[in-house]
Amino acid sequence: MRESVGIIATINKKKYEIEVAPNTTLLDVLRDQLGLTGTKRGCEIGECGACTVLIDGQAVNSCLVLAAQIDGHEIVTIEGLADGNTLHPLQESFLDHDAVHCGFCTPGMLMSAKALVDGDIDPSEEEIRIAISGNLCRCSGYQQIVDAVKEIPKK
Amino acid sequence: MRLFEFYSPRTFDEATALLSQYGADAKIIAGGTDLLIELRKPGAKTPKAIIDISKISELTGIREEGDLVVLNALTTHSDILRSQTLQKHASLLCSAASTIGSPQIRNRGTVGGNIMNAATCADMVPPLIALDAQVTLKSRGGTRTSSLSEFFVKPYVTSARPDEILIDIRFPKPPAAASSSFVKLGRRNAVSISRLSVAAILHVEKNALVKEARIVPGSAFPTWQRVMEAESILVGKKPSRELFAEAGKKVAEVMISITGRRWSTEYKEPVIAVLVRRALEACWDN
Repeated sequence: MRESVGIIATINKKKYEIEVAPNTTLLDVLRDQLGLTGTKRGCEIGECGACTVLIDGQAVNSCLVLAAQIDGHEIVTIEGLADGNTLHPLQESFLDHDAVHCGFCTPGMLMSAKALVDGDIDPSEEEIRIAISGNLCRCSGYQQIVDAVKEIPKK
Repeated sequence: MRLFEFYSPRTFDEATALLSQYGADAKIIAGGTDLLIELRKPGAKTPKAIIDISKISELTGIREEGDLVVLNALTTHSDILRSQTLQKHASLLCSAASTIGSPQIRNRGTVGGNIMNAATCADMVPPLIALDAQVTLKSRGGTRTSSLSEFFVKPYVTSARPDEILIDIRFPKPPAAASSSFVKLGRRNAVSISRLSVAAILHVEKNALVKEARIVPGSAFPTWQRVMEAESILVGKKPSRELFAEAGKKVAEVMISITGRRWSTEYKEPVIAVLVRRALEACWDN
């Protein structure tokens, strides 16, 4: 039985040619193999959204994707959000609105929000609430998060 | 997760050859939103091989073929939600897709996976049975079709053979004057599993009488079926709240005749009746 599968994928604009074990998830590979620990391990059953990353621009639970399945695809994780030392407007807005409490849900929230605002620059409150409906915040700071996404500093 | 052999065929031929080689020792993965949860459960049986069909490009897309609408098996719930074709011809599919999981799940989960997993709470199935959908299955030996209503054997079991791939789901476009709805009751608004659901299609003629009605409850029976006894109450009558409520009561009656009285019946009996009424009202309001 082959213990690894070769894949080529773009992660945060960098091309990776890596060997992954068939029985690992994208989440495992990001955190344990590539050291991209900004993506959080939460429920591992697709309920909490802490592990949300973008595949080809769409928000997905990285705990429910086999690492081997990302071959040929483009991944963006929370580490790919800022541009060098310049925070993404969403990150600025989360700080401005005190939308980060314990911080564990924040990377996933930001990735779900990014998928939304990349497709629609001025989403309604309902659209924002739907976009983050797959992300749990147990500090229960949803209102600040919704406000942060609604009021992104326009540059 | 234990180790398995991983394949990602690019063509039907490669995929069906692998399936005929491994048979029941292989599992197909598409979006993975059900399979990966299953594989990580304590004591889960690990297949010898996992075959990723997501690289087979013929398996994506929604199209119209004359009087039919065809959903290829890898169509995601998000694709369904956004489809203009489905919004026009079968908006109940869009409603049902919008209630599944979260955006993250809808972006990965596929209509084919929803059918093949065959959970009683599969939200795409009641609408597709209401639409009289057929599934197309492909194996090395050829292609066959089955009506979706006859495809399920029991919860989590379909009549697909281990060497077959579900390739598409097709249904005749309902008459332009018909309208449809899907209502679902879960324990919370988002990321919820159906406790009960109802898919309905209602065709009211110009003379204001019901020409055809189709009612398919979800999570109510071991497998899905149209409730003809309730549908026939509606046909030829003038739509009203009272008539819809009567059809709802009939659905509850049929449900109990099939499942017997259980601990949950006290709850499900009145609730399914109300959901049927609401689903029919939602059709009527459209």
